[in-house]
Amino acid sequence: MKTLLRIAALGIALSLCATAYPQPGGPRLVVFAAASLKDALDEVVAGYPGAKPALSYAASSALARQIDAGAPASIFISADLEWMDYLEARGLVQAGTRRNLLGNSLVLIVPAASAASLAIAPGMPLAQALGDGRLALADPRYVPAGKYARAALEKLGVWGSISTKLAAAENVRAALAFVARGEAPLGIVYETDARAEAKVRILARFDPALHPPVVYPMALMQAAPAPAREFAAHLSGDRARHVFEKHGFRPL
Amino acid sequence: MLDPQELEILALSLKVAFWSMLGSLPLALALAWLLARREFPGKTLLDACVHLPLVLPPVVIGYLLLIVFGRHGALGAWLETHLGWVFAFRWTGAALAATIMGLPLAVRAMRQAIDAVDPRLEAAASTLGAGPMALFASVTLPLALPGILNGMLLAFARSLGEFGATITFVSSIPGETQTLPLAIYALTQVPGGDERALRLCVLAVLLSLGALIASELLLRRARHAIHGEASSG
Repeated sequence: MKTLLRIAALGIALSLCATAYPQPGGPRLVVFAAASLKDALDEVVAGYPGAKPALSYAASSALARQIDAGAPASIFISADLEWMDYLEARGLVQAGTRRNLLGNSLVLIVPAASAASLAIAPGMPLAQALGDGRLALADPRYVPAGKYARAALEKLGVWGSISTKLAAAENVRAALAFVARGEAPLGIVYETDARAEAKVRILARFDPALHPPVVYPMALMQAAPAPAREFAAHLSGDRARHVFEKHGFRPL
Repeated sequence: MLDPQELEILALSLKVAFWSMLGSLPLALALAWLLARREFPGKTLLDACVHLPLVLPPVVIGYLLLIVFGRHGALGAWLETHLGWVFAFRWTGAALAATIMGLPLAVRAMRQAIDAVDPRLEAAASTLGAGPMALFASVTLPLALPGILNGMLLAFARSLGEFGATITFVSSIPGETQTLPLAIYALTQVPGGDERALRLCVLAVLLSLGALIASELLLRRARHAIHGEASSG
């Protein structure tokens, strides 16, 4: 019993010590970024000479709702304009700090081992290609990647044929993972995601005319600390642009 | 009071919770009996493993399920080819996730119930010639029954609230895997979905309260039955 009490006391003491771990001075810079930015933004931050910001990746919808509910983000990079408009309408964006940072493309993917082939064209046999499998994509109700995908499939006239055969994921990376694992025979993700995952193969790219332009707007949130401006400037700078291009984004 | 879409979500949640409760029953009962009545090397490890879903992040459980029971998973592929069981993106997968998450609660409650059965009663029955199965059926089970039902209800209530493992394993498919918690989450992501999300939240609270109150009443009956009038008050 005494040993048990000693171990418990030691555990509590260690936890207390952890809370006293020195944090870098000054308010922490927090960047909320769309899930598809993960690899590229991680690399940009790794090469950033200043204090490294904390990065939080999720679907733009989830991030916007969190910021709306008071999350202490300094910078928000959304995967579509609508979610940035949403925050701007609520007065959460610092005036004059919003700019379009990057562009991306939508692609149709299959697991790397799959021999399937399918061309993107109006009335394409998508339902037949799926068979009894499901199309993996980010949730088309609110995640930008899913919304773009739905817009493209509606324009191609095939949305109705597959709207009940979807595997709607929480964010575009989760959809990518479903295809990479072979759980879904087909998926729609960003080109940058497909390039980052060796276990998927790109079948075709969606013509940009089929969906609203894929634009990643960036803005400072109200009450962002001073270092946020420097970091935002860095994201627009040449070093960061080079990294984004390497991952397949189109700096704007 | 509830529109057709909400009714569909409710019906799916109840279906998944019901089947996950039934599915966990044999395993939970067997584990509970083993932990209550037998000593063996590795017993503590087994006990700890059973409690893992209580402390592991649900997303981890969901991910492990994906690796093992996905269409190309270690067990999933075999189950699909030989038994035709598919868990990926189907309500069966949601039920499996819920079963695993509810198992520790069920095992704990059932184990406590079996622990409370006086082993001397079992010994007496054994000296009168009862084999182990007859012993379990006629002595242990009836006395432990309220506690066992309590365990099942806890598993049911836990299944109603299962989110992380479900969304990671089978994603969110309306009519197939979109249970109440997943539907609420989806609604909170859509601007203007707050009102509907709140309605579903109230529904979730009522359902869970109902299940928990029922399980609490069962527990009281169990204590009363085993200890008689002496424990009342």
